[in-house]
Amino acid sequence: MKSLGSIRRSFAPWADPASKPYISFESITKKFGDFIAVNDLSLVIYEREFFALLGASGCGKSTLLRMLAGFDEPTAGRIMLDGQDMRGIPPYRRPVNMMFQSYALFPHMTVEANIAFGLKQEGMPKPEIEKRVKEMLELVKLEQFSKRKPHQLSGGQRQRVALARSVAKRPKVLLLDEPLGALDKKLREETQFELMDLQQELGLTFVVVTHDQEEAMTMADRIAIMDKGKVIQVATPAEVYEAPASRFIADFVGTVNMFEGKVMARDGSSTTIDAGNGLSIRTDNGGDAATGNTVWYAVRPEKIRVSSKKPDDQSLNAAEGEVWDVAYLGDMTVYHVKLDDGRIVRTSLINSQRLTDDPLSWNDRAWVSFRPDAGVVLTK
Amino acid sequence: MQRLAAAVASRLVIAVPYVWLLVFFLIPFVIVFKISLSQTAIAMPPYVPTLGFSDGISGLFDGLKELSADNYIWLTEDSLYFNAYLSSVIIAGISTILTLMVGYPIAYGMARAPTTLRPILLMLVILPFWTSFLIRVYAWIGILKPEGLLNQLLLSLHLIDQPLIIMNTHTAIFIGIVYSYLPFMVLPLYSALEKMDYSLIEAAQDLGCRPSSAFWKITFPLSLPGVIAGCLLVFIPAVGEFVIPDLLGGSQTLMIGKTLWNEFFANRDWPVSSAVAVILLLLLVVPIMIFQQAQARAQEQGR
Repeated sequence: MKSLGSIRRSFAPWADPASKPYISFESITKKFGDFIAVNDLSLVIYEREFFALLGASGCGKSTLLRMLAGFDEPTAGRIMLDGQDMRGIPPYRRPVNMMFQSYALFPHMTVEANIAFGLKQEGMPKPEIEKRVKEMLELVKLEQFSKRKPHQLSGGQRQRVALARSVAKRPKVLLLDEPLGALDKKLREETQFELMDLQQELGLTFVVVTHDQEEAMTMADRIAIMDKGKVIQVATPAEVYEAPASRFIADFVGTVNMFEGKVMARDGSSTTIDAGNGLSIRTDNGGDAATGNTVWYAVRPEKIRVSSKKPDDQSLNAAEGEVWDVAYLGDMTVYHVKLDDGRIVRTSLINSQRLTDDPLSWNDRAWVSFRPDAGVVLTK
Repeated sequence: MQRLAAAVASRLVIAVPYVWLLVFFLIPFVIVFKISLSQTAIAMPPYVPTLGFSDGISGLFDGLKELSADNYIWLTEDSLYFNAYLSSVIIAGISTILTLMVGYPIAYGMARAPTTLRPILLMLVILPFWTSFLIRVYAWIGILKPEGLLNQLLLSLHLIDQPLIIMNTHTAIFIGIVYSYLPFMVLPLYSALEKMDYSLIEAAQDLGCRPSSAFWKITFPLSLPGVIAGCLLVFIPAVGEFVIPDLLGGSQTLMIGKTLWNEFFANRDWPVSSAVAVILLLLLVVPIMIFQQAQARAQEQGR
């Protein structure tokens, strides 16, 4: 059976009506003077979930995180955590810990002292602190750096210390503010997987704020996409990518080809859209589009095939054009095909074989084609 | 050729501060030190030997033989000097602590103020420097004297029945020093506090620290370089302070700056006053150098 869904198939509390939310934001509004950072937002997060808040800078995602940590109080609305109303509870009494974007390591303390800091505040007995610190150092593989000061560490090592410090107290929820923002690309990719493993190992609820959609897609069970202080879609990475709720999301997450058109006919599961200039698109994913409405058909580049001849299969949607740009990226090749009416279609072809039978080059005539289930119809 | 010129130029740039120190610090110090080894005389200048070339090279050597440490021995024989040094250090020490206690909240408030407000606050701290130091100290006489502004205010508010005696006491000296040297404390503290990343405080609170304990565990230790710089900037001039104890402290206050003044102008004993000055300098410079070396070593160990 074909489906979109969570990769961790056994874990999907959001699909189960019986499961209880762990964190819930109830109609949260936050104003800074006249500026509305978060606007009447409601959201639930489940226990042991790896949840990502994704959005461009200034969308309110960090403010939401800071309200959960207790650094900002909501102007209106209520935050519940494990059945407890968080209103008026100062940050130092909340069962959450935060990993700061700047790491905020205490520069006058050693790595060890940084990790032990929260445990000392708790009044944990000394031998236990030592044991826990040792455990944490092992967890982030920094045993031999315990006596160093933060300025003697590399960026990646500092990130690990910050992580160890924030999970040392075993918080109910770990908040991560752009946790990988300061790392270079290669290290970032490695660390993404480490964070996922760590979350599984510790069994904690993670809420991560990021502007990097790839990071959110890689790590999160579910992603909330935010724009202008509102959540515009909450879904699994696959749903966000393959079934975006709006043009904004389709465009924000990954690359997309968007065809504007009118719904000509709806026949059972099949919908036909006239996208102008003789391009007629048949699709299985009509959504709630009604005949006569203006809609947008969104299809991802990797779901479009490009070939020098018209495909034989009549069920495919196809259009003819000219190869406008070719970019060879190693793992795949990106073609920009200019249709005869001037529209550019982006397609990408995975180079699963070293040699190709049908090489296309600049200015070649080419056909782009995609299956009826390749894209989705968006109405907003 | 060009490289040589560049090398010479860079040496010259480095040489400027050294020349400055040589001309305006080391040479005057050597002169003062030399005078401190001489004997008083009714002459012009009022000491012998003068160590000039008027009697030729041999005369200079004869002069050198006459130099002695008598004045330093004299300083140890009269308890006046020891007491003056001691009371100067104590008064300066207490004043420095008081200045720190007043200056820290001011600097902290400035560092936490909105960015647009900070230059104005900084201006306000520096503003008193635009009036003469002497006039400002005189103004305090008008405020502190028995029939002064402060007593008039307190009497009219019926908070006291009799005027407070503040003038000519140690309290008046403390007030004067704290007031006069406050900017020297506030500025280094401000620059240390302003640099601090506020997310460190948030991180401490996030890890379970109350705001007050976050201050003592994070803010204060990180502002220590500013605290030390501010304290040195206040303590050093306060030890040798002459004007404030003279104007506000009255005749019975014993401070080394006043003792030095008396030796120099009242007794016209240049050699003894020079010895007093040299000891004062050693008293201040030696502990500071030891402290700085210890700090440098600690920093090296940290690396």
